[in-house]
Amino acid sequence: MLLSPAILALIGVSAVVTALLLLAAVFAVRVLRHWDLQSGSELQLRLERSTYLISTLVTFAIAAEVVALLLFVYNAESMHTQFVGAMCATGVLNVNAWGWPALLLKITVFFTGSVWLLLNRLDNQGYDYPLIRLKYGLLLVLLPLVAVSGLVQLQYFLNLNPDVITSCCGSLFSPNAQGVAAEVSAVTPRDAMLALYGSGVLVLASGAVYLRRRRFATLFAASATIAFPVAIVAIVSSVALYVYEHPHHHCPFCILKGGHDYIGYWLYIPLFSATALALGVGALAPWHNIASLRTAVAADARRYTMIALTGFALFYAVATYAIVRSNLTMAGTWW
Amino acid sequence: MIKIHDISKVFNQGQPNEFWAVRGITLDIDVKRVTVLRGPSGSGKTTLLSMIGCLSRPTSGRIFLGERNLSGLPERFLTQIRRETFGFIFQRFNLIQGLTVLDNVMLPAYPLAPDHGALVQQAHALLEQFGMAAKRESKVEWLSGGEAQRTAICRALLNDPQVLIADEPTANLDTRLSQEFMHIIDELKAAGRTIILTSHDPVVSDAACVDRVITLRDGQVQDS
Repeated sequence: MLLSPAILALIGVSAVVTALLLLAAVFAVRVLRHWDLQSGSELQLRLERSTYLISTLVTFAIAAEVVALLLFVYNAESMHTQFVGAMCATGVLNVNAWGWPALLLKITVFFTGSVWLLLNRLDNQGYDYPLIRLKYGLLLVLLPLVAVSGLVQLQYFLNLNPDVITSCCGSLFSPNAQGVAAEVSAVTPRDAMLALYGSGVLVLASGAVYLRRRRFATLFAASATIAFPVAIVAIVSSVALYVYEHPHHHCPFCILKGGHDYIGYWLYIPLFSATALALGVGALAPWHNIASLRTAVAADARRYTMIALTGFALFYAVATYAIVRSNLTMAGTWW
Repeated sequence: MIKIHDISKVFNQGQPNEFWAVRGITLDIDVKRVTVLRGPSGSGKTTLLSMIGCLSRPTSGRIFLGERNLSGLPERFLTQIRRETFGFIFQRFNLIQGLTVLDNVMLPAYPLAPDHGALVQQAHALLEQFGMAAKRESKVEWLSGGEAQRTAICRALLNDPQVLIADEPTANLDTRLSQEFMHIIDELKAAGRTIILTSHDPVVSDAACVDRVITLRDGQVQDS
């Protein structure tokens, strides 16, 4: 294992968050079994007094886990100088078999945790705890996810061996290689760009429709669920090539480097944030018929939709800018 | 209607000095009436009053204001209820020393940040109504007991509460001032406010404006 402040912080965050969620899960089981707002029993009043404290602690825990995704990627990127063959985060994640599963699990925790945070915020605005069973039920789903994510991450860090010669992004994200990364790299830029802008139009239009008519929130969330993977595929198969000004370099991590103006952060942060918020709008909107939540759903969903649309618009603008400003000219070959 | 259903309150639960201040009280308190909770020290009247006013939470049981379950509200909503629904007059008035009468009266409105001019006008109107206009710039430590109490009443009424709660309001007043206070209570009742008082002062419980006297002993209702 390589010791660095970032690794220790990531392990610490995962351990603390898992421990906190474990404690909260005990409370969650009691809520699911015994919660009855009609009752004035001592147990019910104790649950009511405790729920705000528990949900506040869990909010901080999940928020830390959400931010940890950024640190995980930043750390992987910054450690590439310590491994022979690694040119960027791809090589570092390739050092052992746990790297990519750890990243994918962290992304899953990011989106699930974000939706939980938005639901919790909504529930806290209702005077009669309207979503309490749902949010504590979700917590029981989140706990194993966070625990497995933490364990996989720990395995990854424990098995980081600097003597291993790893594969660089050039070999992994190559149309001639094997695996998911290779298949994504092999998608033709024309198809990728059509899908990127097609899904972009869909997600922006569905968000605008929701803003105007307060309907089709699920469509907006579903559009974001499509737009996100399409955007990742488009970055790998096409946008990254324009950033590197190289027709065969597909790496989704090298764009995070200072040599490329950290443009990757300008792509990923709006994309991830906007997708999380759009999923949140899909999770919030169905509760607009609950009397104690009507105003809060309207205000929150509107605010999240506006921020999500801004995020998506920024992502598509930055992606387009990266292509337009590039010296790579593939007219006649790709187009 | 304020409905109190099977309310209990325990302090230091599970400790050797565990104390049940209120034990399974069930009551209905009518609105726009004056209700007095009477009883000796330790009978639970202040504890019950503080739970009705959302200043503390019961250990078990429910309190409803109309259809709204007060005892089940999250803390942020309790703050709003305390601010908008209840006005409090404390036994020792709890005026802020060093501030003027006017500042003390305006204090409860500050968290809502209303228009300052309108707030000053509203405070002036209340001070005028209770004969305190001439003292508005006086520091509260210069006031007599009766003046301090009238200032506390003005402060309690600033947010135009539906229910006025007073804990032993005449404990520090002589008979004349106590009678004067009950006269003010009569006027407030006539104005349509619900008033709940605790007291073991006969001047309060025997006053003509009082509609109902509830006697508590050892945390239970002895007579209502």
